[in-house]
Amino acid sequence: MREKTTTLYLGPQHPGITGNMMVKLQVQGDTVVKAETHVGYLHRGFEKLMERRNWLQSFTIVCRICVPEPDPNEENYSRAVEEIEGREVPERAKYIRVMTLELARIATYLLWYGGQSGSAGLYTMGQWSVGDRNYILDLFEDLTGGRIYHMYIWPGGVRRDLPKGFKDKALRTMDYIEKRLDDYDKLLFENSIFQKRAKGVGIIDKKKAVEWGVVGPPLRGCGIKSDVRIDDPYEVYDKLDFEVPAMEGGDVWTRALIRRFEIRQSINLVRQALDKMPGGEYYNKIPNPHKWTIPAGDAFVKTESARGEFGYYMVSDGGNKPRRVHVKGPAYVHGVSLLENLLEGENIADVSFIMNSLGTCPPEIER
Amino acid sequence: MYNDKESQKIVDIIQNYARKHSLFILAYGTGCGAIEIPPTMTSRYDAERFGIRGSATPRQADVLLITGYLATKSLKRVIKVYEQMQDPKYVIGFGSCTINGGMYWDSYNTINVLDKYLPVDVYINGCMPRPEAVIAGFVKLQKLIQQGKADGWDIYKKNIDEYKANQKKIITNWVMPDFNF
Amino acid sequence: MSENKLNKEQLLLDLLKKKFILNESAVRRAKRVEVKVDPKEIIPVLLYAKENSRYISFAHMSCVDWIEDGEFEVVYILWNPEDKINLFVKTRISRDNGVLPNIDFIWRQANTYEREIREMFGIQFEGLVGRQEFILEDWEHMPPMRRDFDTAEFVKKTYFKRPGREDAKDVREFVQERTDEELPDFAKKYSRD
Ligand code: SF4
Repeated sequence: MREKTTTLYLGPQHPGITGNMMVKLQVQGDTVVKAETHVGYLHRGFEKLMERRNWLQSFTIVCRICVPEPDPNEENYSRAVEEIEGREVPERAKYIRVMTLELARIATYLLWYGGQSGSAGLYTMGQWSVGDRNYILDLFEDLTGGRIYHMYIWPGGVRRDLPKGFKDKALRTMDYIEKRLDDYDKLLFENSIFQKRAKGVGIIDKKKAVEWGVVGPPLRGCGIKSDVRIDDPYEVYDKLDFEVPAMEGGDVWTRALIRRFEIRQSINLVRQALDKMPGGEYYNKIPNPHKWTIPAGDAFVKTESARGEFGYYMVSDGGNKPRRVHVKGPAYVHGVSLLENLLEGENIADVSFIMNSLGTCPPEIER
Repeated sequence: MYNDKESQKIVDIIQNYARKHSLFILAYGTGCGAIEIPPTMTSRYDAERFGIRGSATPRQADVLLITGYLATKSLKRVIKVYEQMQDPKYVIGFGSCTINGGMYWDSYNTINVLDKYLPVDVYINGCMPRPEAVIAGFVKLQKLIQQGKADGWDIYKKNIDEYKANQKKIITNWVMPDFNF
Repeated sequence: MSENKLNKEQLLLDLLKKKFILNESAVRRAKRVEVKVDPKEIIPVLLYAKENSRYISFAHMSCVDWIEDGEFEVVYILWNPEDKINLFVKTRISRDNGVLPNIDFIWRQANTYEREIREMFGIQFEGLVGRQEFILEDWEHMPPMRRDFDTAEFVKKTYFKRPGREDAKDVREFVQERTDEELPDFAKKYSRD
């Protein structure tokens, strides 16, 4: 008997903890023969809206582009403006930025723990890590006033100095999270269910990875040491001491190991940044925002987010509004063409598992 | 006996009491608000204390959570999901985007006022609402249910023509059945 | 010192200059090289960069609407993972009937970018396959990212507006009207009128 091909629609309502997108699968039995991604359920037209807002107003909306990890957007936007305008940033602000970005990375990885294990059917992990993520969000609340959206890193520096007692609190939280990571290891990485699910699934070919512009943990999981923090250092990453892991393998398991390693590095980076932070100004004042114009020019800046390289291409025509801001998130490559390619030949149950391990984030694909 | 008005009242009270303590939500996680749902459901805020928990399909759900801006492409799916749900059903609008468009008020692809397209029982204010606010919103909904005032689904049935006209104004390519309760 | 640092960047530029007719070229800063070419030179330049100069990774592709000049500027950004340099290749085409060559046989994922640009700007790519609709659905108007598309006007025509928004007045009074909450004193003081 010949097997019949059926069509299966996964989504658009949240396939896993990823966001709204649809994957149209052609399946034979349990195996996917062809996958087609449909995005656009969250399109808001940021790039159009920014054409209508002045430089400071645009800053307030960029963080909404990627919901799980808003800070790299602010960082990118600020750095692009600074590069075109030639604005200096005080040393202290740079350290605060690095600290914020690393805290954001930890928070994203904790959410990823929940998503990755949740899509394998292990729900306890999510209860723990998403619960612990609240402690980092508390830190953000102290620092910026918001839990998720901070609007903190802005052109010229950061919006506020560290509040009193923040350093101690941050260090204590880091100690706590570090202790908890060992528990996570026991729960997730030593769990034979997770090991069996993750090993040998969703393998990315090494040569293909570079050519296709794969970034972040998926690329490092192919054994290629590539990280914007080293390749094109920004802020003060060249003065801090950290390691970027790279492992051969290319499957979900390797990517999980990379993240497990990186979250420890981030904790270390937060400690270092807090330690080495100099005193002084935290903000290089911008002129009256209504009259603030940026000289004509363009810039392409990159930031390493938890899911990979985040790029902003910004063009100014010398006016008080951006001419064009084009956002390229890591999921733009991972979530569309790569995902379609990877899913072929996989099991239906592994679809959202693979999506989570690639860090697919629809709001940033369609903006 | 059940035709008796007095006893009908008592039955209603008991029914409403039961309903308000088991709210199965279907989070149509559109928009940014969806990121505050996992913290709300997990250990620190633990919404399950209030009988709030997720459900897998529209047929089992009581509450439809619209967690933020709705792109027109999503709106089409949300309407379909809403009409698949069983009566009584409630809608919670989440964040300022559902109330008046929020910061995307001038975006060509997002609707601005949700209650023109679907009957909303409770709005939760904020951009984005904190988990405490989400829980407060649910408690408000529970109160409304107990008082019998959360009757959005009834209003939707009665004013179906108006709602459909509004929906069709935006969704130009209407390929689904008109009304499938 | 700084000249030393920009060695690799300059080398690439010299190579490209020898091989192709460049309209403009510059080393913008460390790790950023920019060249401007005619549309018909796009494929040769990109192929050369990929095959001979190890710019094997396709980082980004973007489009800017210069409505004053009646032109679109399309930018291809490549990445060399060994030398760690970004190469910008820019080209300009006419706004009205500009056609660009399709490059998804060089880099498969360029297909995604091209589909988005086709949808958002209305630029046609020769021989581009893939679904016409990428992000938008049933869109019958002008491609939205063109500068002459006025989104505020469009919103006014299409969507409803909640009263209280149109004049940027203090919304707290409207809130008070609709709920039974009393406006606190400090809020009254800051009311706009
Ligand atoms: S109200 Fe704010 S947080 Fe909620 S969807 Fe809108 S912009 Fe996002």
